[in-house]
Amino acid sequence: MTTKAIEQRFGPYGGRYVPEMLIPALDELTEAYAGLRNDPGFQQELSDLFTTYSGRPTPLTYAANLTRRLGGCKIYLKMEGLNHTGAHKITNALGQGLVARKMGKTRLIAETGAGQHGVATATVAAKLGMACTVFMGQVDIQRQYPNVYAMRLLGAEVVPVTFGTRTLKDAVNAALKHWIEHLDDTHYLIGSALGPAPYPAMVRDFQSVIGREVKTQIMEAEGRLPDSLVACVGGGSNSIGLFAPFVDEPSVRCFGTEAGGTGPKPGENAARFGENPQIGIVQGYKSYFLQNDDGQVQETHSISAGLDYAGIGPELAQLHDEGRIHFSSVLDSEVLEAFKILCREEGIIPALESAHAVARAMQLAPGLPKDHIMVINISGRGDKDIFITAKHLDETRWVEFLKSEVQDIENH
Amino acid sequence: MKTIDQVFATNKKIGLMTHVVAGYPDLAATADLIRLMADSGVDLVEIQIPFSDPLADGPTIMRASQHALDNGITTNDCFRLAEDMANKVDIPLLFMTYGNIPFAMGMERFMRRSAGAGIQGLIIPDLPFDEETDDHLTLAHKAGLKVIQVTSPSTNKKRLEKVCSIAEGFIYSTLKVGITGAGTDIDDQGIAFLNRIRSLTDLPIAAGFGISSPEHVEKLMGKTDMAVIGSHVINLYEKKGPQGVARFLEQCRHVGS
Repeated sequence: MTTKAIEQRFGPYGGRYVPEMLIPALDELTEAYAGLRNDPGFQQELSDLFTTYSGRPTPLTYAANLTRRLGGCKIYLKMEGLNHTGAHKITNALGQGLVARKMGKTRLIAETGAGQHGVATATVAAKLGMACTVFMGQVDIQRQYPNVYAMRLLGAEVVPVTFGTRTLKDAVNAALKHWIEHLDDTHYLIGSALGPAPYPAMVRDFQSVIGREVKTQIMEAEGRLPDSLVACVGGGSNSIGLFAPFVDEPSVRCFGTEAGGTGPKPGENAARFGENPQIGIVQGYKSYFLQNDDGQVQETHSISAGLDYAGIGPELAQLHDEGRIHFSSVLDSEVLEAFKILCREEGIIPALESAHAVARAMQLAPGLPKDHIMVINISGRGDKDIFITAKHLDETRWVEFLKSEVQDIENH
Repeated sequence: MKTIDQVFATNKKIGLMTHVVAGYPDLAATADLIRLMADSGVDLVEIQIPFSDPLADGPTIMRASQHALDNGITTNDCFRLAEDMANKVDIPLLFMTYGNIPFAMGMERFMRRSAGAGIQGLIIPDLPFDEETDDHLTLAHKAGLKVIQVTSPSTNKKRLEKVCSIAEGFIYSTLKVGITGAGTDIDDQGIAFLNRIRSLTDLPIAAGFGISSPEHVEKLMGKTDMAVIGSHVINLYEKKGPQGVARFLEQCRHVGS
């Protein structure tokens, strides 16, 4: 970890744009985390949980078949999906869960889109002996039901959010409001590197283990740093986690991949850096948001519930402006194609979020020299997306299966 | 039109500030409601410019805002409403909204247009005084607007002193730590906090969050200069229509007169 002060802002972005009543809670969290991030005992405890519980370090896998198929650079996959609960999300959840327990909090609350962060928070709450409530948009509950089931199994209460767009951004609003009402005993475990300070820096710190591991692993495998890194970007926790340890390495190019959805029109995608990037102040922080001219946050779409968020973490916004991260988007159709290819070529079923990064890598790789080393972050695994991917890729058999399951339940 | 300072200079035992969401249930009804409030003896009205992601609003106000947005209400509509109302009522009007609305328009332009529409002050709960905000306080002053500072019982001593030192017009304090509308009890913690503010400033104090009966208003008498009623008016409007709102406000006004 670092001895630098916890950043409140990232250039013009970040900050704490919250009602006055939340300021004391953010002060308390900042103070607690400032002490713990440099506390060797805390770091050791977290590190032990990473290795004995979460499954870190996750492997860095040479993707020989994908490399051969694309015919360009050498491709490695950072296998974050091999973490306990199936995604990088558990890393931050363990970190914040420990911080919360040290602060004397007894409850964790979270918001979730795809459900991975909700599952991670529910898991950590169970592990650390804390109560847990997860807010989830009604739309996301429908499309990510396996994760809802998992959260309930883990002992969490899942609260459907029925207002607004009924997706992630409204789940964030619901969680923030709940937190305002339960500050004494509750920690709001924000799942991405966004929200009011200190969250963006704190989540970045916890997730930076991804990039640090990649650094070590690629040095062992290749004896040098990678030339490019590719990650998907919703709020941005897996991407900032991968990129942050490389930001000061000018030879390493960073590629962020946003959700291009079904097209460029408003409401069809979640590409904040698409045709008309707009800065705004929403949900406690200043950054880029998909919004209309009046400042109303727009509806978004992505085939992946984890990427259809209207905002982006403030540090990523700054790195975008500085030209340090190159952002672009891929379409849902390209994502499904990349999903299929990774399954067939490498025997890896990626999360649809991660398949965005694969789709971007498939565009980049063929044009790159053979000695170029690329690392793609496979931020999660795809079993959670079965209800989406099966519908697109195996519709007839999937529908027959669901019908027979329903029939079976009704018969008993 | 009376100024904010003139409103607080009267000798009422306790004043009333009410809240409307512009465009809920539609713009004409909002206009009628503001007139009705003025006619019922309300001293100040805050007009909320709806926002898609309101952090501090409870379910009632949020639902009203979403309804207004679904009906296509824009910030320009809110300016037109304010301008129309400023010509028709004698009481000061404030805008309440969230930071992204003025930010999207450009702070300076928003301030100028608000003042031009007859608005006298702003309540923007997610723009804390110490956050970088394109200098909204200075720009508001330049336009002749007062920025009303919002505090809550969780505000610590140091921040409260700072808030009091920069506040103008009046200080708006929540009676509890929470979102608007929920709960109905005015507890000792809320009252104690009002006393703490009183010990730090001579500015008038308005208190709100959870006020839903004339008894609540009475309970605040002598402890605050103004009671703020938001969600309850919307609930009443939905259940009993404008007459129900008028009756309720009359009852509350009698407490203070």
